[in-house]
Amino acid sequence: MRVEGLSPLLLVGGGYLALLFLCALAVERRWFPSRLVHHPAIYTLALGVYASAWAIYGSMELAGRVGYGYLAYYLGAAGAVLLAPVLLLPIQRLTRTYQLASLADLFAFRFRSRWVGTLVTVISAMAVLPLLALQVQTLGQAIQQLTGTASPALAALGFCLVIAVFAVVFGARHTHLNAHQDTLLAVIAVESLVKLAAMLALGAIALFGIFDGPSDLQAWLEGPGLTHQAGISELDAGQWRTLLLLFFAAAFLMPHMFHLTFAERLSSRALLQAGWSLPLYLLLMALPVPLILWGAQRASIAPPGLESAYLAFALSASPWVDALAFLAGLAAASGTLIIIALALSGMILNHLVLVAHPPDHRGDLYRWLRWLRRALVVAVILSGWLYYRTLGLAHDLTTLGIASFSGMAQCLPGLLALLYWPGANRKGMVSGLLVGTGLWVLGLWLPLVTELPPWVLVPPGLESLSSAPAWYSVTLVALAANAVILIVVSLLTRTSEGERTAAEACAADPVIRPKRLPLSVSHGEDFKHHLTPALGADVAGREVERALASLELTSWEHRPYALRRLRDRIQANLSGLMGPSVAQDIVDRCLPYRRNGAGLGKEPVDDIHFVESRLEAYRSRLTGLARELDGLRRYHRRTLTQLPIGLCAFGDDDELLMWNDALAALSGIDGERVVGAHRDSLPAPWAELLGRLLSNGQRHLYKQPVTLAGSTRYLSLHQATLDTDDDAYGGRVILIEDHSEMKWLEDELVHAARLASIGQLSAGVAHEIGNPITGISSLAQNLRYDTDDPALLETADQIQSLTERVSRIVGSLVGFAHGGHQDNTGRYATAKPRELTDEALHLIQLARTGQDVTYHNHCPADLELEADVQRMVQVMINLLGNARDASPAGGAIEIDARRLEDGEGRNGIEWSVTDAGTGIDARVRDHLFEPFTTTKAPGEGTGLGLALVYGILAEHQGRIQTESPPTGRESGTRIVMWLPVSRRPLSKEDNELPHEPDSDR
Amino acid sequence: MYVYRIMLLLVFVGYLLSPVLMNGWASPDSVWYRPFVIWGVLIALSLWLEQKRALDEG
Repeated sequence: MRVEGLSPLLLVGGGYLALLFLCALAVERRWFPSRLVHHPAIYTLALGVYASAWAIYGSMELAGRVGYGYLAYYLGAAGAVLLAPVLLLPIQRLTRTYQLASLADLFAFRFRSRWVGTLVTVISAMAVLPLLALQVQTLGQAIQQLTGTASPALAALGFCLVIAVFAVVFGARHTHLNAHQDTLLAVIAVESLVKLAAMLALGAIALFGIFDGPSDLQAWLEGPGLTHQAGISELDAGQWRTLLLLFFAAAFLMPHMFHLTFAERLSSRALLQAGWSLPLYLLLMALPVPLILWGAQRASIAPPGLESAYLAFALSASPWVDALAFLAGLAAASGTLIIIALALSGMILNHLVLVAHPPDHRGDLYRWLRWLRRALVVAVILSGWLYYRTLGLAHDLTTLGIASFSGMAQCLPGLLALLYWPGANRKGMVSGLLVGTGLWVLGLWLPLVTELPPWVLVPPGLESLSSAPAWYSVTLVALAANAVILIVVSLLTRTSEGERTAAEACAADPVIRPKRLPLSVSHGEDFKHHLTPALGADVAGREVERALASLELTSWEHRPYALRRLRDRIQANLSGLMGPSVAQDIVDRCLPYRRNGAGLGKEPVDDIHFVESRLEAYRSRLTGLARELDGLRRYHRRTLTQLPIGLCAFGDDDELLMWNDALAALSGIDGERVVGAHRDSLPAPWAELLGRLLSNGQRHLYKQPVTLAGSTRYLSLHQATLDTDDDAYGGRVILIEDHSEMKWLEDELVHAARLASIGQLSAGVAHEIGNPITGISSLAQNLRYDTDDPALLETADQIQSLTERVSRIVGSLVGFAHGGHQDNTGRYATAKPRELTDEALHLIQLARTGQDVTYHNHCPADLELEADVQRMVQVMINLLGNARDASPAGGAIEIDARRLEDGEGRNGIEWSVTDAGTGIDARVRDHLFEPFTTTKAPGEGTGLGLALVYGILAEHQGRIQTESPPTGRESGTRIVMWLPVSRRPLSKEDNELPHEPDSDR
Repeated sequence: MYVYRIMLLLVFVGYLLSPVLMNGWASPDSVWYRPFVIWGVLIALSLWLEQKRALDEG
């Protein structure tokens, strides 16, 4: 039962389009959870846009003519996604790396010519036009079937306009063509779901409404249905294969499929999953087609003259069935129209409009591009309607569809060469494409738009083709001629250097070897100034900032390596904005490489760092020998990186290629921050130090003093030149050894030897001074006896007092100079820590340094112990001297002593010296009592004092430990000694000092 | 990568033999849904290959 008038159309069609807008709004406003919007199933369903109106109505027409031959449409596409790892992923990698949004972009990038992009755009537009018309035509015919109106064109125009508005609002809001559009993907996925549900419902109506299930259908097919099948002409093997090839190519070459698969940035995982999920979707779409056809044939209610494409409307008299058939077609047609319009508008913009009118000096570039694209979107959709109104009606869906697919298939040889044959060049590709397209235009396209009959070139020996269908002969001959001419011309002509570079980048297994060329710009900010003449200050600033942000660089980045990556990223981003041809023109013009600059007489060399980073990124794709070699490369690289000696490598152009971990630790400079920089721009003192080694031609520099982190270190550098006889990678490698410890040790040894000499000298001098002092003291004594004058007696007392003081000083000096192991038997005597401390303090205070430090001797006067007095004074001098040197100006040093039993119950005395200094570094603390360990600057301390202290305490059966900071304090150091009150008898072992003193002992 | 080669080989052989296969699958003597059942089996096979690939590269 048909409902006359436009009300069902408005109800079903208007309601459906309103649902689309609502759905888009819901995604925009984030009413749906993000997990749902980004689910891989959404991507698969979005790829279901392949099932255009052809899948709803065209397949029905084809199934009515060639039976199961209609499956070629679905199996061809399934084969294409099944080959995703070897076919689609390489293309995806290219489009993503170089921001290529269309087939024309890809061809223009690979063959390094804007005219190639223009040619592919023109061919795409010509090929897609019949497919656009097919969508609009089916829409018009479906409206006619639904409403019974005789002139559905205006209603179809209304739908086209609404679809155009949708495409403009939700699809063309971004200036960059490959901007990720969740909304669009989600809406196309919903459309795919709707058409699938409608087709499955129609199939179910046929199978269970008209037939009584699969068995009844089988019985009908073997019985009454045989008469209906009699008119079917099976495709021969050649035709089937050609049809399969056409649909295989259509699955990724058609502008809408290329756009969704590559420009919408599906993840690689989603693309690989589509290898099985899209065929499953297509299976479900294909299954109802014969069911509907057979159901309509059995129902026998089709009005006379109803084309087989629209038999779904003859399944039942119910308006709901008509509505379902219309809805399926509308969902398929609208999705295809939207994506084709977006894809084609981008191609026309980049390769026709921008090539004819470059956007130089345009301040409102983004806005201008956006509105231009929107106008083109509307124009593309309306062109489909115009084609339908003027020419399309005269042709059936199969003719329109196959003409369209055959036209786009002319790009297949070029695409395969692009991926798999680096030898293909522009001349070969253009020649092949022109000849193939020419044959297609004469054989299939012109007959669509004129009254001319198809013109088929029949090669000698293939006369049988003349009797074959035109689509088959034309497609076969055009494709063969295209491929042969591409190969022959490419082999016979020269390939430009730019093409060779692009070919390497495009190869399915790329070995990308970009050159290390310096740029004329010096830092990120400079990029903005250079790009301003072409893009305007605002757009230049935004594009540079965008590229910097994506590379995580700052605008003052100056490393040549980073600047090259920045240039590449800006070119890729501009390619997404205006296409690769215009982008390359702008970048070449505004950001040129310096090919004849200073010091660039040499041939540019490969950018090893970039090659390595690419290898790391593609590691999972390497197999077999390549993977083994890469494993070896990684091993050698790890060896160099983790070498415990500093290592850096420079290229011939003095660009830093390696900065290993040990050097990073020594210099405090992370390798990632400096690799790729020029030698002169390295932070101080490395630029000067390495420059000195590299420029003076010496192979070694020994113990060069440099200041690192505030302290002086001594580095030895050794360089080797990398031989370039059998390898393109030259340069120099430098080993950097830190010899600071050894240098300090040498200095300390010299110092210690000098001190020893001074000690011996002091002992001699002290001995020599002793005699005259004794004489002076005797004379003073005599003076006392010889006079009663009180003034002279006081003078004599003062002379005697001062000579005693001199004698005490001399005695202390002699005792100190006799440090070290001695036979001390019989020198032990009872001593008081308080007095020992006073004597040491007396000597310490004679020194000129540390006059402003105060000493507080808190040792009780009644404490006594058995000790070698001279050596214990020496211990205290050392400890107090260290405390004084560590104390700040005005600081106080506390000396304490108390009785304390040790763990074995022996009576002893704990004797401590506490300062208010900054404390001892934890790394030094463990080695504090080892010889030559000092926290003082070289030349200021011998590093022997505490070792001596340790030895003397060991002789006294005592022990020593440090607390830094002392318990209960925030800073400072406390040296705590424990000494027995009386020594126990010594065994042989006790007389031997431990070899490795430990601070805890 | 070995999985890809198997896939490439299967698809190419399938393409060459597809007319013969289609004639066999869609012969009038067989049930009408046989091509779809075989297609379903091929989808299951590609799902298995995809999972194997994901495991290999995972």
